[in-house]
Amino acid sequence: MTTAAGSNPSEDAPRAAPLAGQSCRRIDGAEKVSGRALYGADFFPREAELFAKVLRSAHAHAKVLSIDTSKARAIEGVVGVYTHKDVGGTNRHGLIRRDHPALVEDRVRYCGDAVAIVVAESERVAEFARDLVEVGYQELPVLGTIDDALAPGAPQIHPEGNVMGDKRIRKGDAEAALETSDVVVRDTFETQTTDHAFLDLEAGIARFDGEQLTIRAAGQWVHEERRLVALAVGLEPERIRIIQPCTGGAFGGREDISIQIYLAVAALHHPHQTVALRYSRAESMIARHKRHALRIHYTLGAKRDGTLTAAKVVVYSDEGAYASTGIAVMRKAASHATGPLRVPNVSVDVYGVHTNNNPTGAMRGFGASQIAIAYNGMMQRLARALNMNPLDLYMKNLIDSGDSVTTGQRISDPTIKECLQAAMDQFHSKPFPSDALPPHLRRGWGISVMCFGLGYGDGFPDCSRVRVAIDEKGVFTVYTGAVDFGQGLPNAMAQIAGTELGAKLDQVHVVAADTGRTDESGSSSATRQTYFTGNAVRMAASELREQLLDIAGVHLRVHPHEISLGPGKSTDPTGFAYETANPDNRASLADLVVEGRKRGYPLEARALFKPRTVPGQAATGPSQGVYHLPVRGPRIAGIGGRRNRRDPRRTAHRLPRRGQSHQSPIGRGADRRRGGPRHRHGFDGRGGHARRCVAEPWLHRLHRTHDHGRAADRSGYRRARRPRWAVRGPRRWRAPVDRRRTGGAVRDLRRYRGGSQQAAL
Amino acid sequence: MSHNTPDGLTGLALTPDTFHLRCAINGESIERDVAVDRSLLSFLRDDLGLTGTKGSCLEGECGSCTVLIDGVPVNSCITLAAQVNGRQVVTIEGLSRDDKLAILQEKFLEAGAVQCGYCTPGLILAATALLQENPEITEEQLIKGVEANICRCTGYSSIVEALRNAHREMHS
Repeated sequence: MTTAAGSNPSEDAPRAAPLAGQSCRRIDGAEKVSGRALYGADFFPREAELFAKVLRSAHAHAKVLSIDTSKARAIEGVVGVYTHKDVGGTNRHGLIRRDHPALVEDRVRYCGDAVAIVVAESERVAEFARDLVEVGYQELPVLGTIDDALAPGAPQIHPEGNVMGDKRIRKGDAEAALETSDVVVRDTFETQTTDHAFLDLEAGIARFDGEQLTIRAAGQWVHEERRLVALAVGLEPERIRIIQPCTGGAFGGREDISIQIYLAVAALHHPHQTVALRYSRAESMIARHKRHALRIHYTLGAKRDGTLTAAKVVVYSDEGAYASTGIAVMRKAASHATGPLRVPNVSVDVYGVHTNNNPTGAMRGFGASQIAIAYNGMMQRLARALNMNPLDLYMKNLIDSGDSVTTGQRISDPTIKECLQAAMDQFHSKPFPSDALPPHLRRGWGISVMCFGLGYGDGFPDCSRVRVAIDEKGVFTVYTGAVDFGQGLPNAMAQIAGTELGAKLDQVHVVAADTGRTDESGSSSATRQTYFTGNAVRMAASELREQLLDIAGVHLRVHPHEISLGPGKSTDPTGFAYETANPDNRASLADLVVEGRKRGYPLEARALFKPRTVPGQAATGPSQGVYHLPVRGPRIAGIGGRRNRRDPRRTAHRLPRRGQSHQSPIGRGADRRRGGPRHRHGFDGRGGHARRCVAEPWLHRLHRTHDHGRAADRSGYRRARRPRWAVRGPRRWRAPVDRRRTGGAVRDLRRYRGGSQQAAL
Repeated sequence: MSHNTPDGLTGLALTPDTFHLRCAINGESIERDVAVDRSLLSFLRDDLGLTGTKGSCLEGECGSCTVLIDGVPVNSCITLAAQVNGRQVVTIEGLSRDDKLAILQEKFLEAGAVQCGYCTPGLILAATALLQENPEITEEQLIKGVEANICRCTGYSSIVEALRNAHREMHS
């Protein structure tokens, strides 16, 4: 009803700043700080009736001759032991190629391959019985490195051979341009595999009621997971519902399916009982895909004045045992091979090679970050060869509007130069810390630039679907299939919707990532959700707004153009539609919903946001529109200092050379290593394990002083002194599995060979 | 066939001995028989349903499972349930009563120090002990005091801001 009450909505609400852009409290924050939020493992004491455990392979590469489950079945409390024969569908999964058996058939290809699932009445019994499953193996030679896998006569991991795929880009004529360049620098970079190490271990529950299979487990793309489960276990997708619980981080590590298929297999064999499954940290490390280790051979040519002329890049990528998202990672690495640098002639060849290491797939940056180590490293080497300040060299060669990146895609209005300048200004405006450090630590700064394409790119269909509705109470709800694992997606979507609809944050609810209730919004990866789902929310909310304005127009007897939507005062339970020029003429949204229902308005709106990209070139010739908004700013970071070293994005690729003790969460890793007060490690005061997290490679150089790296260039980081305790450091980096068993999956960072620089001035 | 289990969970007893445990959890007296090899973490979570305490590394490294035993922050994943016999245990559920959040919890929300939220309960408990003990605290001590808690989303600067704000409010 129209109200002419004393409160004037124009006084506060309509003039309030739009919700988008404000720093709001997290919608799910109170649940999280009070411990009420339910993560995957939190369903265990509440709902679990049966417990599943997965038996993993004992070898990195072997034929499976026999699987004997009789001893395990004989244990009291065991209700079932399942192998590939008990999986109803194709028993296959894989985001790009369906090449990964859910439960192995005749062969294991890495240590994380799942052999059998044991289901029991308690977790303890399931674990006990799992060890009694007897598997006969015939060991095969383990291909632990790319070189092993490419050696003549190496056994084939897949029938198609050990080369999984390749990707080429040709822009101009790199070979010819290198011939005529004044300076050419060459080097080889090797990056290491990295685990995502999210805190919230894989855990979840599933229940099959005879008709519908419901799985509560964390992923990054619930709708794709539903398709993969359906394919693997042979159930129609419509009969599967996947609901994302509260999720403690992902970083790409939940992109490949994890426990969902095992849960489905167990639940289908035990209808009407809730089956629960969780990994230990060790199992999580062993089973999950990793960041790709790349070996990058980089040749960069320039004129004497520093202008880049050509880049020739050859990359070998360790794809591990299965395809995962490897092909897409190779594409991303290839298409970002020269980053935000203006290089007129580019030749890129990327080869993906199967090994018996963990499958490698998505992890923050998706290939673009590994290659950034190489091109930033090459810029340093070039600066040294030219005797130029690296910053000047960057400024000379960063793209301007209209320049093209690696793929030939032309970029309009990149801001990378301004960004780098702003970062440097900020850096120069602060005094370099002068407080004393322990003798084995030095403080320095590094800087790098990189770019990253949003979305899947490369012509891959990429879209978000969203529904926005309003209920009888005047509360809006955004339904999106997008997953939140801590990045704040509900807030972002609620704030975007609230901006369109003139609503306060608490008037917008978000229902996310439930295949039973939400439409598909693609994966939460590739930095895409705010752009894709955010735009879909904006479009849907805007359509719903139009409906509300239409209803209000009739209700308030003014033209919809003259009506605004506003949130009302803080005491108002609902928002209002009001005449912009005369705010007293208004109606509550709840009333408008009643009115709208009578008039047959849907009071909800759906939207699809689907900007097209085009495939990257097959062989040669530039290609436009490969990615959206591809240029991002530089990163600047202190290294070897005392704080913020936990930020993986700020952690030096080469950090282990000095700070092998990587890394205390806040504060100095070295202090922990030296056995400082550690009264918090349990009651008996033991503790002091070395940290096993692995740094994300990002920066490529250690600059020891505040002079754009010149001093570092003179002294050479390779000769930088290391404290004695750090010499044995890299061993401590290894995951708690031995090298033989992983087939060398855990790399030794010292394999990095940096030395073959050539300068021809 | 111990070689079948790469995660080292062999040698598990199928029917372990039990221990009669008496302790106070969040001020409430509890008396239970627990398996002697039951960790405090799994006792709290799986037996008592107090799932606010999180398990992550399960080897005393990440601090997600921090609880207070007689006011001292301890990693519950490497503490046996039997070890808290006769002691007072406080978990995250014990900090906010009747939906009223503690100062630290409020400050965490205010500073945006919560992302995925998995490290948050452990961090808040570790910080609770730290801030209560020290009416005067330097930035260095503040950071050192919670260095055994990993935030994998790497939101450390806002966490430190939340601690600073909470300390100011608690001791003003």
